[in-house]
Amino acid sequence: MFEPLFSESRSRIDRLQIGALCGLMLVGVLFVYSATMVTDAALSAPLYKQKWLLQIVWYVLGIGAATALCFVSYQTLARWGTIAYWCGMILLALVLVFGTVRFGARRWFDLRFFLFQPSEFAKLAFILALANFLSRPEAELAEPVSFWKAIGMMLLPFVLILKEPDLGSALVILPTGLVLLFVAGFPKKYLACLGGAVGILAALFLVDVLWAPPGWWQIKLENYQRQRLLVYFGTDFAPANATAEEKAAAHHLQMEKSYQVHQALISVGSGGLWGKGWHKGNQTALGFLPPGAAHNDFIFSVIAEEKGFVGSITVLTLYGLVLFTGLRTAGQARDRLGKLLAVGVVTLLFSHIFINIGMNIRIVPVTGIPLPLLSYGGSSVLGSLIAMGLLQNVYLYRKGYLT
Amino acid sequence: MLIFDQLKKNDPQLRAVALLFLCGLGVLAAGLWWVQIVSAREYQAHLEKQSFRTVRIPAVRGKVLDRNGLILAENRPAYNISLYLEELRKDFDAAYLQDVARARGELKRQMDGQQRRFARKLKSQEKKAFLLSAKEKSLLRQRARYEVASNVVAQISQRLGQPLSLDATNFQRHYEARLALPLPIATNITPAQIAIFSEQCAGANGVDLEMQSTRFYPFTNIAAHIIGWLRRDDDSVEGEEAFFSYRLPDYRGELGVEFGYDKYLRGKAGVKSVVVNNVGYRQAENVWQQGEAGANVVLTIDLPLQRRAERALQIYGPTTRGALVVMEVQSGDILALASTPTLNLNDSIQGFPPGEWARRQDAVLRPERNKATQERYAPGSIFKPIVGLACLESGLDPNEMIYNPGFYQARAGVRPIQDLAPPGNYNFKEAVKHSSNTYFITKGLKTGIQNIVRLGQHLHIAERTGLQTRQENAGIFPDERKLGANWHDGDTANICIGQGKMAVTPLQMAVMIASIANGGKVLWPRLVDRVEPQDLSSTGPLVFEKGRVRDDLGVKPDNLRIVREAMIADVEESGGTGLQAAVAGLKIGGKTGTAQVMDEHNKVVADTAWFASFAGVSNESPRYAVVVMIETDPNAGSGGKTCAPIAANIYKAVLEREKSIAAKNAGLAKTN
Repeated sequence: MFEPLFSESRSRIDRLQIGALCGLMLVGVLFVYSATMVTDAALSAPLYKQKWLLQIVWYVLGIGAATALCFVSYQTLARWGTIAYWCGMILLALVLVFGTVRFGARRWFDLRFFLFQPSEFAKLAFILALANFLSRPEAELAEPVSFWKAIGMMLLPFVLILKEPDLGSALVILPTGLVLLFVAGFPKKYLACLGGAVGILAALFLVDVLWAPPGWWQIKLENYQRQRLLVYFGTDFAPANATAEEKAAAHHLQMEKSYQVHQALISVGSGGLWGKGWHKGNQTALGFLPPGAAHNDFIFSVIAEEKGFVGSITVLTLYGLVLFTGLRTAGQARDRLGKLLAVGVVTLLFSHIFINIGMNIRIVPVTGIPLPLLSYGGSSVLGSLIAMGLLQNVYLYRKGYLT
Repeated sequence: MLIFDQLKKNDPQLRAVALLFLCGLGVLAAGLWWVQIVSAREYQAHLEKQSFRTVRIPAVRGKVLDRNGLILAENRPAYNISLYLEELRKDFDAAYLQDVARARGELKRQMDGQQRRFARKLKSQEKKAFLLSAKEKSLLRQRARYEVASNVVAQISQRLGQPLSLDATNFQRHYEARLALPLPIATNITPAQIAIFSEQCAGANGVDLEMQSTRFYPFTNIAAHIIGWLRRDDDSVEGEEAFFSYRLPDYRGELGVEFGYDKYLRGKAGVKSVVVNNVGYRQAENVWQQGEAGANVVLTIDLPLQRRAERALQIYGPTTRGALVVMEVQSGDILALASTPTLNLNDSIQGFPPGEWARRQDAVLRPERNKATQERYAPGSIFKPIVGLACLESGLDPNEMIYNPGFYQARAGVRPIQDLAPPGNYNFKEAVKHSSNTYFITKGLKTGIQNIVRLGQHLHIAERTGLQTRQENAGIFPDERKLGANWHDGDTANICIGQGKMAVTPLQMAVMIASIANGGKVLWPRLVDRVEPQDLSSTGPLVFEKGRVRDDLGVKPDNLRIVREAMIADVEESGGTGLQAAVAGLKIGGKTGTAQVMDEHNKVVADTAWFASFAGVSNESPRYAVVVMIETDPNAGSGGKTCAPIAANIYKAVLEREKSIAAKNAGLAKTN
């Protein structure tokens, strides 16, 4: 389509992808501005404290890091995969002990000027390590041992992140790992069994959380996690045999907990076709969309309210471009490692997008994961851009291109 | 193309992944379409519901005018000084932060003290006791808000030089329930205070002047009972939207014309919408719908005549209890309807002067009752013309003389009924002139109670006169169907002299006199002439029919003439009881009456003095009916001595009015 402009065979870097990324970064700055510059405190804060400016700083840092990564071929990087993986796991273990607690979860290291979230980097290290592991000859993969090792590599970060607790980030690891296993070339029956097992476990899990009467073996979920699932399914918070008082209290709690989702839905829905105009959305200005969430987890609601359906589809298109150029890169990768890396990064991105936007329109229960590149947050931006750097790296060394 | 290339690739796994992504994005797009396009209106409605509050703004109430266009009830602006809490929000937050810091400091000192006592560091469980709980924080917030608001009120109070205070519970209640509305701290301030405020406090944060419209009665206590008063009522009426987040103070008529014609006077309320943020503070305001001002109600009352009537009733002092009705005989229009003691309608709005509230509750004076329509009295001798009419209808010869010994005794042994007319021979005219009880009882008994009661029923004495002012007393009168075995001659005798089982209101007596004067038509009295909407060009006035006939006496015109002539003789001929009512230039006919009020032991506790009359200019047919009623002590007054002079006073005013109308008409004729 853009052949004359983006002639693939001749360019070193994937221009379409870069273009889409720049579009996304622009959208990110604009809407972080719109979402944060509503309270008096924000408007009167000095320039260096304003979030949209900080977001630009993170973008610059991220682009720098991604560019630096591209100087080294991805095959070299992959050799460090195992070490990166174990460093990541150690950091995840450490954060459980030494991390600071915010909003009831211990996910961050407080580095004075910046909150470092190790799970973002652990995800990338995991992709690198798993792609490296899976890029061995297919004959080796046919052995059951490799299969279980791969699953083990997937479950370790999953459990560690789950313990923080951070259900959202843990949840993204699963699809990424599963797709990598799928693309890697395991024998079909292994994958079929795995798929079946995952399905059954998920169903059992849901049934247990939603309908298990107390006294039976209930899976230990944090209160707020259970409540989020209940809110999503619209189930009554109080069990059927509660007294009227308990029901009233439970109803009150339910209203409180559904508040965020309800407000997000109102924001998205009231945008209509064209939206209300940049920085003219009521939900953030009037404080209905909680200001703590508006500029990160629910940034999509702000975009949807202010730019309407047209805006939302534009954002989806930009993400789609990134995803499909990534897949194109995977198809053109020189070796299986490159293909696996590309697929891993793209799936990670897709999971984030699907869960976050789904959360904003209530087709997925609320989980605290950011929207890549659009949500405010240093670790998230850095992680996303470094992942993009990896993708470009694979593209740089694609087949048919003379180094 | 980009996407399709991936789907066509030879690599099945990549193809599957591409398909997965496409489906995922498709699901998101479909979801977005559902929420943003299909359900957009529903979510917009949710948004409006949570961030908009509707406020009902009462419309400007219509005026009440007399027949000449003089304003009896209107609206004046009242100014309040109000707090606008959304402007004080920053100060609230700042004060709260200070308070919290102070509280935390205090807690830290206590914790340090505890640590010193234990001589070790506290465990985290113990530290919890020194943290501010959510409840304590919310109380601190409440107090911080109240302090800031009180400071503002104190400043204003100092500048105005008037003590103002802010009640803590009221303030909290307003904050919880009506945050988006202003909170009045000084209501109905004087013009001097408005000036001081505008000069000195105009720029103050969080306070401003607010205007409300209040009812004002320029003539204070004239026609007070006719106009009636209002009651505070914020509810929506039929035809109006029922749901509002807030309602501004509104009033509804409670009594009088304000009540009876409330649906015309009140107009249609307007709607204002206020945008609030998630806490409830007001952000912006927008008027959706302007209110429609109420229509004006034009009465048939003539204000100068009404004023004269009220003054006339008080010639015996301000504690006189009585009523006066002036009615046009041909049309039933009420020109004056007075009741004393009266009251100042502005008091219930401006505040009662000292002692007024007690006076209003006085069980003897009863200033709030409209004695012309709300209270019933025995008519006494003024009912005799009707009795006479009944007798004439059943064949009485008006020239027949009977002897009056000075009393009437039914039979030996029964207590006689005294007759104030001196003993002698009386024919019809003389009996009316001197008000002979004996004559009327004798003739009444002969006619029979049925005929009298039937005539009374044509007059609709036991029924309301249809003024719709909620001040109507139906009165008491025997029912034709119930005159059975329990009815005795003594009861008939009482009816013949207007006592016993009957009680009437002065207005009903006016209708009675009018029917005698206008040839037998029993009219519906008319108090309101028309209702004029504010914008006369679009809808014309609603005129209430003039001269509606309710019934007919059904008597021969000759008999009516005989009664009229007898009544004229009562006023004009010497010896008549109503001599003091005569006025040169008017042909006046009347009947005096003095009824006795008895308690349950048949002891006389009071008298009711009456004078019921009609008048016409010289030899023309009668035009006016005037009925005067005064409550007096036993034997302290009589119709002729107490009420007739008042009637004379009124008739002089009536004559002046006639002359001025004639002059105006002549003047108009000349210019034409």
